[in-house]
Amino acid sequence: MEKKGMNRRQFLKLTGAVPLVAAAGGLGGGLLTPKWVWGAPPKVKGPIRIGYQAVLSGTLAGYGEFHKMGAVMAIEEINAKGGIAGQKVEMDFRDSTLKTDDAIKNARYFVDSWGADFLAGIDSSGQALALAPVMAQLDRVLMVTHGATEKLTEEFVYKKGVRQIFRNCMPTYNDGNAAAFIAKDFPAVKWATVSPKYEYGFTCWKMFQETLTKVKPGVSFIAESWAPFGTTDFRSHINTILDAKPDGLYSTEWAGELISFLKQAKEAGLFDKVKYVMLPVGAAMDVLEGMGKDMPDNIWLSARYYFQYPNNKVNNDWVARFNKRWKHYPAYVSETAYSAIYAYKAAVEKAGSKETKAVIAALEGMEQVCPAGTRVFRKEDHQAIYDVPWGKTKSDPKYPFKVMGDMKVIPANAYFNRPPFEGPGTVPPFK
Amino acid sequence: MQSYVHVILAGLSSGMFIWLVASGLTLIFGVLGVLNFAHGSFYMLGAYCAFTVLKYLGAGFWAGLLLGPLAVCAAGFVVERFFLRHVYRIALPYQLLLTFAFVLIFDNLVKIVWGGGALSPPSLSFLGGSIPILGRNFPVYNLFIIAVGPTVALLLWALLEKTWYGRIIRASSSDREMAASLGVRVPALFTGVFVFGTWLGALGGGLAVPYVGLLTPGMGETIIIEAFIVAVIGGLGSLKGAFVGALVIGILSAFGTRFFPAFDMALTFILMGGVLLWRPQGLFGATR
Repeated sequence: MEKKGMNRRQFLKLTGAVPLVAAAGGLGGGLLTPKWVWGAPPKVKGPIRIGYQAVLSGTLAGYGEFHKMGAVMAIEEINAKGGIAGQKVEMDFRDSTLKTDDAIKNARYFVDSWGADFLAGIDSSGQALALAPVMAQLDRVLMVTHGATEKLTEEFVYKKGVRQIFRNCMPTYNDGNAAAFIAKDFPAVKWATVSPKYEYGFTCWKMFQETLTKVKPGVSFIAESWAPFGTTDFRSHINTILDAKPDGLYSTEWAGELISFLKQAKEAGLFDKVKYVMLPVGAAMDVLEGMGKDMPDNIWLSARYYFQYPNNKVNNDWVARFNKRWKHYPAYVSETAYSAIYAYKAAVEKAGSKETKAVIAALEGMEQVCPAGTRVFRKEDHQAIYDVPWGKTKSDPKYPFKVMGDMKVIPANAYFNRPPFEGPGTVPPFK
Repeated sequence: MQSYVHVILAGLSSGMFIWLVASGLTLIFGVLGVLNFAHGSFYMLGAYCAFTVLKYLGAGFWAGLLLGPLAVCAAGFVVERFFLRHVYRIALPYQLLLTFAFVLIFDNLVKIVWGGGALSPPSLSFLGGSIPILGRNFPVYNLFIIAVGPTVALLLWALLEKTWYGRIIRASSSDREMAASLGVRVPALFTGVFVFGTWLGALGGGLAVPYVGLLTPGMGETIIIEAFIVAVIGGLGSLKGAFVGALVIGILSAFGTRFFPAFDMALTFILMGGVLLWRPQGLFGATR
């Protein structure tokens, strides 16, 4: 088969294509000519299989569905236009359950049993860290689309050389460093936090404190209250903050727990007492829609993608297409999932191969135009660099939820940690 | 002072909230001898049904609280009458397996019917807002929960201790063969008690709609663990124990979160371990 340079399926395609091409040629355009028909058979053998895992059960089940909307939409579009390098794209979507051993089991299943060429997904930082060594063993590329801990790309990709890991979502640099850049302009000097009691919450708060101390000397951090995963009752945490009387509140609570927290904090009058509130993932679509008109005004928030930014044709068209397809505004994980699939398309077509090594080489340094703007995959740590906005909640009669006003965009280069990730000049502020 | 009072209030409201869920669990265990894992699912279904009445049918909070849990009773009836009834006489692990299967079934049912995303109810007009207590706002709805807890406890006590039905229930729970031979229709009674326990769990769910402010497909799994801890500390099957256990756990974890944040998750488990060492049957459990 290999020697003949053609397998049965390609032969059938070829014979099927001949009359079509002849007809197209007859029509004068030759537009329908598949490029490879007259040339060498394609190097990339199909189908292209992508194993995607995200959380589909439990309290965060909605996130898996948001991932799926983005990924499915990308695959539908790609397959309708001839696939990746002429090959059809197939996806298997599994529940990651947020547990590390399930994430590893899924990854092994995808590669060993299902024959996945690429993996994508992963919501939890803990899962991402546990998967890194496994991906090196399995030797398949994993594009992380949600797990945000900077340790994944700094420690595993850069320092330990796990080249199979890439990440196209915003890492904690936005939640920690950029938040500090925004907060430095506030008159607030005493800060407190209510944040998740796990890796993501800890690492963000630490980064926020370190960066804010550098850019605004004299700030103090007077209280922290850590809410375990699954917290539904935040009243004791709110009491901690009210007792401490900070000027500013920083919280990396996210998704449903952030909704519960905001509602309960509002009932307790927290937003009357604390004037500066920063929520690095507060502009997630589920939070904005979940809070609706109950979202307090003048809360500073950001997200890993926000549907009104950038205000350009690529993004606006995509939001419209997404809305048409799913009757929803895109969640940030919908954007990262969608763009992850397109990143694989671009890389495979650039490399002319779906082999792991070739695709890694193609992805390194690759520029990709996405709904979220232009992403550049940094060669050293495989982290995608792109900009996201911060803004203050305000009403807009066009939407049934609060949107971002006073948008501020700090260029990602100004606040992303830089390789070699230790020593002076690797963490912001730079120069 | 202000701080302590508010910590106690937060503890009371979360304790009473857990009690509402634990009461049905305890009642079912006390009478039927079944450890019902699916109780958390009834809580979840109660919340979703109440939310549906409240939001989609536009009937308001009270109608939701009344009709939502009643709808869930039908699910409770089916579970007991057609499934659980067949495993009463087999070993306990089978009961756990069966009820756990229902947890998975109901979680997926909720995802199919209402979708996997979180649902968030609008804020209440009545019972919404908050009032100042010692200069700090406390939500009115939490005061309402603090009042509902003891009310339900009192009604349960009156039902079981002061009525003819209560006497029959107690008789059947202490010796079902004897009760049956004296002419009590034990199977029908068990169905009735199970459905009533289901209703209590679903009521907790209905009350959770404004309390938690969020509905998610896994919401029953978090609460059922807390309810189990409460039931074990109080003594499995003892309603008095569950009530006291819920109060203790509620206040302890509120203090833990506020004053010993490093241990807040461990505190409840340390307490449970301590109680089990000192009184394996729980605070108010009967010695066997």
